[in-house]
Amino acid sequence: MKYLLFICADGLPAPEDLAVLQRECPVWVEEMDSRGTRLFGRELELPETAATVRVRDGETLVTDGPFAETKEFVAGFDILECADLDEAIEVAAKHPSSWFQTIEIRPLMDGLDWDEAAMRFAAGDNATGTTYCLMKCLDGIPAEPQVEESIIREGNAWWQDLKERGIGILAHPLQHKDTATTVRVRKGETLLSDGPFIETKEFIGGISVIKCESREQAVGIAAAHPLARHHMIEVRPFVSE
Amino acid sequence: MTTPAVQLAVDAAFREEWGRVVATLIRRTGDWDLAEECAQEAFAEALRRWPVDGIPHRPGAWLTTVAGNRAIDRLRRGTRGAELLEQVGLQAPQLDTGEEAMPELFDETDEIEDDRLRLIFTCCHPALPMEGRVALTLRSLAGLTTAEIGRAFLVPEVTMAKRLTRTKAKIAAAGIPYRVPPAHLLPERTAGVLAVLYLMFNEGYSASSGTELIRAGLCDEAIRLARALQQLMPDEPEATGVLALMLLQHSRRHARVNGDGQLITLEEQDRGRWDRTEVQEGLEVLESALRRRQVGPYQLQAAIAACHARAASAAGTDWQEIAGLYALLEGQTPSPVVRLNRAVAVAMAGDIEEALAVVDELSGDARLEKYYLLEATRADLLRRHGDQAAAAAAYERALPLAPSEVERRYLLRRLQASGGTDVDSPG
Repeated sequence: MKYLLFICADGLPAPEDLAVLQRECPVWVEEMDSRGTRLFGRELELPETAATVRVRDGETLVTDGPFAETKEFVAGFDILECADLDEAIEVAAKHPSSWFQTIEIRPLMDGLDWDEAAMRFAAGDNATGTTYCLMKCLDGIPAEPQVEESIIREGNAWWQDLKERGIGILAHPLQHKDTATTVRVRKGETLLSDGPFIETKEFIGGISVIKCESREQAVGIAAAHPLARHHMIEVRPFVSE
Repeated sequence: MTTPAVQLAVDAAFREEWGRVVATLIRRTGDWDLAEECAQEAFAEALRRWPVDGIPHRPGAWLTTVAGNRAIDRLRRGTRGAELLEQVGLQAPQLDTGEEAMPELFDETDEIEDDRLRLIFTCCHPALPMEGRVALTLRSLAGLTTAEIGRAFLVPEVTMAKRLTRTKAKIAAAGIPYRVPPAHLLPERTAGVLAVLYLMFNEGYSASSGTELIRAGLCDEAIRLARALQQLMPDEPEATGVLALMLLQHSRRHARVNGDGQLITLEEQDRGRWDRTEVQEGLEVLESALRRRQVGPYQLQAAIAACHARAASAAGTDWQEIAGLYALLEGQTPSPVVRLNRAVAVAMAGDIEEALAVVDELSGDARLEKYYLLEATRADLLRRHGDQAAAAAAYERALPLAPSEVERRYLLRRLQASGGTDVDSPG
């Protein structure tokens, strides 16, 4: 099964924690890459670089900052291939971020399209433009079936177009937030809890990775997604490698 | 016609075999709902067939076979049926349910024993919400209906149904494995299972009167499950310990509340009303656990309960021993509640001032801020110390924190006895 790990922070790490993170993160990455467990992972820029995009009555509304106004924020993510949740928990508990902060494990929907562009991105190819993460944030209110159907249909066309233009790198929906598990390691003990890392009604329902020229272009692309009309989309650049 | 004998046999089989049948079907089909439905149908079939064919020698194997055949039927009829059947290797032909024709498919005794362990570890997986773990254990292992579980937890049936659906959906979608955890995970996961069973017991035990009486059945279910777990994990002394603890606490159930639903403290209980058979069993079970010399928190708590069970009166209790056991327990699971209990034992052993000092120390602990027993204990110690005014003040502080009517009435009674200001003084 494939899982996404959200690395969740509630502020900048303390200097001594930062030293541990800088020393231990590469060790974790190397181990999980060599095990074939980690497909890829990237760090996001800080939440103040984020734009949250909504479209209402044909008008694009952009607010600075991440989708949820909480002190917790997504600092990055990794995508894993694991036998089951127990393995994903073990892998998350080895990640040094779980020793100071929180990691949310969320299963991916089946059928991740792992093509050339995605593999190049995973390998760290950033030659032109900047890569942005679009996080599709649902507000928990289930849309009517026909609305949902049209969102999926339009969303697929949106992605098809981005792929053809060489902008789309990777996109995939996540399983519902009810399937989330958060992991913290404290005093050597792995602490699990059911549910996502923040208790807001909004939750991340899927992610897309795109490569484009500017933040304005990324915001425009987000606004063109049908979900922006019903929910919202957070746009945030990845830290360049 | 169902005869009383058949009804009894089916009831007994339900208690004994439900969990086994469901557990095996989940392993073979991977479908929790299908497993429950087919198990249910197998028991209905038993009510029809056993009066005619006689009660089978191995009711469990009969039920598992019938339920398995139902599952095959349903999968055949389903759209993905054939594909799934192939996956799970359920392609055995429709089988007769007679004893001789018992299919090998469902005759793997060891595997089936393991299935119940698989099921309990999966139901109690730490990534599931705690209330979901308890509910799913009661549904799939103990065989309680959704309505029964709803009543036990004082929520409407639809709410409980949603909780169960959500819990099962997470198991499937998040990829929680259906297995007994590997050795390196086993100790913490076992502790997690024991915590679920003990929580289930306490839900029932803390509700022993009036409108909440229906919840008391949870104690019986928890004890039954603990018995099963103890048989499945005979080498795990803490599983034996939790069973001993439940038995010893349960033995006091008739004495801990009076006819008016008032809580009676251990000290005031009529020990003649303790269930001696349960006490005896509890002591023996504890003895067998302690022989393994791997003492854990449940064995220690059971050992404390055993000190009470052996004593003829509160005064005749070995409080020194109890204080020592609490100190050991505090060493293993440091907690302000354990410390508070140790203080009580120290006081009962004769040193009230030392006990009050511990309570004062605990007053600053934020974890006890909403815990009525901190002030209630302080009040009790002050009362024994002869300071009725300070005791009354402490009882008043405890009152708004009381978790239920039973505790509230106990505190009011105490407040009256110590001459509290806002109630009539006792005659």
